[in-house]
Amino acid sequence: MEEFELLRYVTIGQYLPLNSPIHRLDPRFKLVAFTILVIAITFTATYIGNIVLLLLLTGLLILARVPIPYALSGLRPALPFLLFLMAMQIAFYTEGFAKNMGVCYHLLDAWFIHATTCSVKLALVSAARFIELLMLTSLLTLTTTTTELTHGIERLFSPLQRWFNFPAHELALIITIALRFVPTFAEELERIMKAQVSRGADLGQRGRFRFIQQTKAILPVLVPLFMGAFRRAEDLILAMEARCYVGGKGRTHYTELHSQWSDYAAVLIALLLALIVLLTPWPW
Amino acid sequence: MTPIIRIENLWHVYQSDTSTPIEALRGIDLHIHPGEYLVILGHNGSGKSTLAKHLNGLLLPTRGDVWVKSWNTKDDHHILDIRKTVGMVFQNPDNQIVATVVEEDVAFGPENLGVPHDELRRRVDWALDVVGMTAFRHRPPHLLSGGQKQRVAIAGIIAMRPEVLVLDESTALLDPVGRRDVLAIARRLNKEEGVTVVAITHFMEEAIFADRVVVLHKGQIVLEGTPREVFSQTERLRSLALDVPPVTEVAQALRSLRPDISPDVLTVPELVYALTGKLPPPVHERDPFAEVDTSHLPDTYTPLSPVPDDLSVEIRGLVHYYMRGTPLEVEALHGLDFDVGNEEKVAILGHTGSGKSTLIQHLNALLRPHKGRVRVLEYDLTQPKVDVRQLRRRVGLVFQFPEAQLFEKFVGDDVAYGPRQLGLSPEEIRERVRDAMNAVGLDFETYKDRYVFSLSGGEKRRAALAGILALRPEILVLDEPTAGLDPQGRRHLLSLIQRLKEEWHLTLVVVSHNMDEVAELADRGFVIADGRTITSGTPRDLFSRPQVLYDLSLGIPQVTQLMHALADAGMPVRRDCLTVDEAVQEIGRVLQEGVH
Repeated sequence: MEEFELLRYVTIGQYLPLNSPIHRLDPRFKLVAFTILVIAITFTATYIGNIVLLLLLTGLLILARVPIPYALSGLRPALPFLLFLMAMQIAFYTEGFAKNMGVCYHLLDAWFIHATTCSVKLALVSAARFIELLMLTSLLTLTTTTTELTHGIERLFSPLQRWFNFPAHELALIITIALRFVPTFAEELERIMKAQVSRGADLGQRGRFRFIQQTKAILPVLVPLFMGAFRRAEDLILAMEARCYVGGKGRTHYTELHSQWSDYAAVLIALLLALIVLLTPWPW
Repeated sequence: MTPIIRIENLWHVYQSDTSTPIEALRGIDLHIHPGEYLVILGHNGSGKSTLAKHLNGLLLPTRGDVWVKSWNTKDDHHILDIRKTVGMVFQNPDNQIVATVVEEDVAFGPENLGVPHDELRRRVDWALDVVGMTAFRHRPPHLLSGGQKQRVAIAGIIAMRPEVLVLDESTALLDPVGRRDVLAIARRLNKEEGVTVVAITHFMEEAIFADRVVVLHKGQIVLEGTPREVFSQTERLRSLALDVPPVTEVAQALRSLRPDISPDVLTVPELVYALTGKLPPPVHERDPFAEVDTSHLPDTYTPLSPVPDDLSVEIRGLVHYYMRGTPLEVEALHGLDFDVGNEEKVAILGHTGSGKSTLIQHLNALLRPHKGRVRVLEYDLTQPKVDVRQLRRRVGLVFQFPEAQLFEKFVGDDVAYGPRQLGLSPEEIRERVRDAMNAVGLDFETYKDRYVFSLSGGEKRRAALAGILALRPEILVLDEPTAGLDPQGRRHLLSLIQRLKEEWHLTLVVVSHNMDEVAELADRGFVIADGRTITSGTPRDLFSRPQVLYDLSLGIPQVTQLMHALADAGMPVRRDCLTVDEAVQEIGRVLQEGVH
């Protein structure tokens, strides 16, 4: 009876503790390279360009020692949605939108369905992009701990903090505290659910569409959970004040990020690859 | 010597919109000296936590002044100097850890102070070493036990190199293992590093090592002195709702026979020496920070005392896994045996992570056995079709800190939640709520329309207990019912449970790591460690073989400890006394025989 075991479903910050060149990259540079590749993926609208990107990302995953099926496991829940979207694009895409896609040939005109080579191309390219983005995100999160990521974000944006008062440090701290308390609240939720079930609560066994009853049924769980969260927040504020927290000014950092030539090389390679993919006039 | 903290005529008044202002502190005068170990004792609501928060300017005086070194806490400009000087560790270890990795959390304070990188590294290494958490430095905090988290919190404070360490009830939520470790750290910092320690607590056994004890009552200092001076005033302490060490009570009672015994005896060896002229052999306890090791204990388990014939609960060879079918699968219980007779009182003893919580969740089918046999009343939990709802109605499970599960606005409604779920008639519901509330000492007419949030901590806990009693259970399971309560609250709740058991003809299962509680409450106890049953028996039988309990860091009641020590030192006394009166009688008997 695992119905109450909630930690099992907490997968935020999945990280594969392996040792690979990608794992060892400085998170700041990793984030920059990631952004460059996202841009490349977003603006590549050709068949060959996307095939090149797919091959490239597969290569990177292999380099990071991440099993490809594992990296793609996020695809399964999205698959029905993806297929539905492709079908819609193929069926309803009209030439009015296809200004820069060259000449379109009609493949099928029946009833309200007007499929052209352009709409097929759009559907396939969109699907490829989706998979590419998924592979790229997996590559980032599976090779970078959440701590590294938040450090990376903080340091990358810190010039913005200096110039435009952008709250880079606060943003990073909020992310860190949120991640810190995810497991705590999962445990707390589990405990409250068990406690209420022990005093006769009947959680989640009512009709699926009887919203009022359903909401009422989870109140005994929600109210204590939120009260607990507020109490924790108050405690945390006191604890942080006692530890001399007064914002990001004048803070030093325990984890110093040291860039090496390989980090610069990685960004450079990402940039070159992106330019090649974007600027090459692929025939299809 | 100039004091490091000076408190002068400190008043603190909590203003509130709905009720009259509360005077939490009423004219406190206290000087804290560099290098001293000061314990502030007081029951819940005595103002001791309010006082703590004045020591580093988290609260500001309504009247009077608090000076840290030469800085007044009201002076904004020096607030960081003050907090750098006075480090504070709080009660709940979970709510003071900020980062997702242990070492980063320890670094948080010094980072805020702008400590340069190399020095920062050195401080984190040092702090982790002091609290014995170096091996855990890369772990995420949620995978640590409560005691370990509290050690990380202490490391986070001492990495700021404060001159004063304030422990604001930092041991209240920990098990005995965690509590002992935290105390060991505080004493070591005090002795070896010269850190001034101010420990706020309601456990008198934590005050024995202090240089000075201050007792707070209704916002005023009512007693002050060395532990000996304070604890020899047994009557006064009891009137202040505080405990006295049992060995001090025994010593004072024996003074009519042996006037040479000093009334300020604080420890077992002292009294043994006074009575026999010999020191008892030292007790072998677990080293601080060591993991509890069960590998040397026998695999097979035989009960020390006879098991009743008429069993309400029978568990044999219970195996349970967590995160089953994932890469994180762990076996939490490995073939555990447990049984409870009809209308028996059974205690489960074990520390955090021993599997006791997993065990009790099988009693009302929140968890199902993965292997082994579990029978509760006439329900066989290995059968998938067993009527779980019916079972949960008959087995009431009260979780730890049950007041956290209250959710209605009014007390009466919250108690009525369970009966309403059963679909009873309004009259029946009303009757059950009335009975349950009266049974826990919350008068139905007075309390039913009170706001839940207006209740005190102890009242909330009793209201939560009433919520379970309103289901009219036959078996009542309580997970550490007295956790976090002060001595008086603990005594009240224990006698309440005793009375309930008799009047409602309940079968009782209580999880506890307080051995005095077990001695007082239980017919039989089960010692659980590492997911299996180590031994079971009556408290007398369990405590007469204490080494297992020492090995598991559970300890035995101080009275029994005294009897063992006396017997080992050659005095012909029985070893199995459980209460102060029993011990006084037994020692008195031997003393008088010696005279004749």
